[in-house]
Amino acid sequence: MKKQNSIFSLVLIGIFVLYMIIPIIATYMFSIATKWDVSILPEGYTLDWYQTAFDHPYFSITLTNSFIVSFSAVLAGLFFIVPTTYWVHTRVPSAKPLLDLLMILPFGIPAVVLALALIRVYNFQPVARSPFLLISGCVIFSMPFMYRPVSNSLMAIDVHTLTESALNLGANTFQILVRVIAPNIMPGILSGALLVFATVFAEFTLANLITGASFKTFPLLLVEFTKRDGRVAAALSVISFTVAWIASLAILWVSGRGHKPTEEVVAAH
Amino acid sequence: MSFSSRRPRQNLSAWAGVVPFLVFCLVFEIVPVVLLLLGSFTDKAGAFSLSNYQKISTPIYVRSFWNSIQLSGITAILGAIFGLLIGYAIFNLPSPRLREALLALSDVTTNFAGAPLAFAFIVILGSSGVVTLAFEQYLGLKLYPTFSIYSYSGLILAYLYFQLPLMILLIIPAFAGLRREWWESAHNLGANSWQYWRRIGLPILTPSLIAGVVLLFANAFGAYATAWTLGGSNITLVTIQIAFTVTGEVLHDPGAGDAMAMVSLLIMGVCIAIYQVANSRARRWAK
Amino acid sequence: MAYLDLKNVSKLFGTVAAVKDFNLAVEKGEFVSLLGPSGCGKTTTLRMIAGFEMPDAGTITLAGDDITIVPPNKRGTGMVFQAYALFPNMTVRDNVAFGLEVTGHPKAEIDERVREMLAIVRLPDAGKRYPHQLSGGQQQRVALARALAIRPRVLLLDEPLSALDAVVRVALRGEIRKIQLDLGITTVYVTHDQEEALSISDHVVVMNQGLIEQLGTPEEIYRQPKTRFVAAFIGTANQLHGVVVDRAQVQFGTMMLRAPVPSNLSASHQVVVLVRPESVTIHSAAPSSNQQNVLEGTIQTITFLGPITRIAVDVSGTRVVADVTAANRAALSHNQPVWLAFDPEACQVMASQ
Repeated sequence: MKKQNSIFSLVLIGIFVLYMIIPIIATYMFSIATKWDVSILPEGYTLDWYQTAFDHPYFSITLTNSFIVSFSAVLAGLFFIVPTTYWVHTRVPSAKPLLDLLMILPFGIPAVVLALALIRVYNFQPVARSPFLLISGCVIFSMPFMYRPVSNSLMAIDVHTLTESALNLGANTFQILVRVIAPNIMPGILSGALLVFATVFAEFTLANLITGASFKTFPLLLVEFTKRDGRVAAALSVISFTVAWIASLAILWVSGRGHKPTEEVVAAH
Repeated sequence: MSFSSRRPRQNLSAWAGVVPFLVFCLVFEIVPVVLLLLGSFTDKAGAFSLSNYQKISTPIYVRSFWNSIQLSGITAILGAIFGLLIGYAIFNLPSPRLREALLALSDVTTNFAGAPLAFAFIVILGSSGVVTLAFEQYLGLKLYPTFSIYSYSGLILAYLYFQLPLMILLIIPAFAGLRREWWESAHNLGANSWQYWRRIGLPILTPSLIAGVVLLFANAFGAYATAWTLGGSNITLVTIQIAFTVTGEVLHDPGAGDAMAMVSLLIMGVCIAIYQVANSRARRWAK
Repeated sequence: MAYLDLKNVSKLFGTVAAVKDFNLAVEKGEFVSLLGPSGCGKTTTLRMIAGFEMPDAGTITLAGDDITIVPPNKRGTGMVFQAYALFPNMTVRDNVAFGLEVTGHPKAEIDERVREMLAIVRLPDAGKRYPHQLSGGQQQRVALARALAIRPRVLLLDEPLSALDAVVRVALRGEIRKIQLDLGITTVYVTHDQEEALSISDHVVVMNQGLIEQLGTPEEIYRQPKTRFVAAFIGTANQLHGVVVDRAQVQFGTMMLRAPVPSNLSASHQVVVLVRPESVTIHSAAPSSNQQNVLEGTIQTITFLGPITRIAVDVSGTRVVADVTAANRAALSHNQPVWLAFDPEACQVMASQ
């Protein structure tokens, strides 16, 4: 088939692009508009709403809390999911189907259900409704995002042959890991880490249900403001969008030109 | 082989390396879910009972399931149809740069969900939103009160925002899997484009399409934050009802929450199972 | 006019000419191979015959009809692709029937034709199976049956064997040739494998960089390569660089070689003398140089190749190879001084450039 486009398909793409960017652009403009409710374009521009947002006592608290949860999930991914994935790939291939299954399960468990289950079981102190329980839930919910890219890059590089040739050349296990395997799967690890960060940072359901007011995260503050003050909510949305954009662009950058859309994009919303 | 005798023992100690992860999954995923399952079949006194499931057969819960299924089904099917068409248009773009850029856009937007997305839709389609105003001033169309972003029709638009790009990301590899030789062979044997699509192209895409639809369905079914931010308690969806039982709304019985969670898991499980089967079929043809 | 006729056909990809001013006449029932390295334009030429590429200049006629701009689905050519071109969602039967079904043939006729075609490719019982259940060789046979089922005016094969194992490759190429002869179908075959082209074709077209280097019977291509490219591409040839002395002699280093010098090459012209290794004999004592050329050197390497052994000899800096049979090789060893002999008639002289 020759690559060619009809007018119809170009129109389709145009509508799609508008659909995808209008909400974002509108939110950005809303966040810097002085007054914008009767005309198509804002009447003036201001950064006051950001000032209001920054001045809010909960702003830095929720931002810090969100970073704590996101970084914890990333660290768990790096020091727990990645080694386990590597170990299973190289040493216990027979455990691979089990690992695959465990990694697909979180997709099948809606976040509300996971939250409900965790709250029911861990209803005793000090775990009940603790940040620790929230982080654990986030690790469960985000681990497929770490697993997929790492597992794919491990399969792509043929770890067995690399390990065997390194062994044959006299390298020890540590040298193999650090000098042969890690550099080769680094793009997978990095994009996994960024994906985990972005999804956990935007995570609302688990945070709202597990910790709620006792350990507020950034999305909770945002939802609160959508009901209280739209302008500040817009400023917070922009911050949230921007974090997501940066993470996504960084993922595209580290994963290079080989674009492989996979099921890891399926987020539990 | 000289080390074959060592194999089993090595394997056992190697399994030990997986144990911490298995324990973690058990503690924070498997056991809580299993206990939830058991809990859903017990009454307050701890005896076996189907009372929780009887509770959720009352109209409000049945309606929330019906609403969730409808919303997920509509957005999955619309997402799949338009995702297929747009995906094909993107796949056929002559410029690889533009193609990459649109894929990147899809990648980013499919992850934009929850509160910021819901709020963005209020900004453009709320009662004084930009698009609402534009429709009124330039086209003379009053969207409200027929349409409302806070209602199911609004929810469909908002959900499509993450469903469409997801379908595009899922279907483009399937287009890439259609080998040029199939089109050329068909053409060489006398077929026109329509005959090619009807007899070869679409049948080969079908498993990927089915996989896409169920994944989109599951994606929408489990969604919570978008609907909660947009509609709050005005919208009766399964996830919102379950959340109510967690936050301890008086009207809602915890037992009913457990039962609803189990039915949701069952629906999600069916989706994932269909997805796996369809996906493995799609892969068999791709070899 | 020939049955299939390409006249002054050219094809550009961007600014690169894939095929330049190409002329080829294929008679009805003939088997012609397009042979050359990858990127030589052979596949592009075939795809222009099938209609998948449009020539930028020139005309293509088939059985008297100008088909240059006819769409591929109206040409009546049957094409077999490199691999994986069977429709994966259809059974073997449906694959073979496809071309007849889309052109609206009655069912009874289709069933009959499918049976006949599967019998021809010796897969009479494979009708209900799916492509992924077949071996690579079986898939290519089905692809052949599918292409033949529409009774094409010309059969086009684009490296149909290149994805197969060596053994299957050799067996299947014999089968393709037999079926082609039985049906008397005009065939154009693209390959980069010279042995394949030489073994099954009536005529071979050797192509390089979009141009025809030589067109001839397999025998001619092998015995009388017209250009250095053909000589180097087909089989193995020793290339001895020298200078023309007269119509029958070439100065090679300090030695004089007797060889038939073509009339277009005058004295002091830089030339290459080509000699096939099987024309060179090897001697442990100096042979008579009355009737033949004799070169003196030392053995560099001895390579066992099964039926023959290839001896590489260093002749004052030039590597010359000779093929010997097992019986003759026994007496030879590394670094041994030897004499090489070959007839003047075995030599081909051509310009260096």
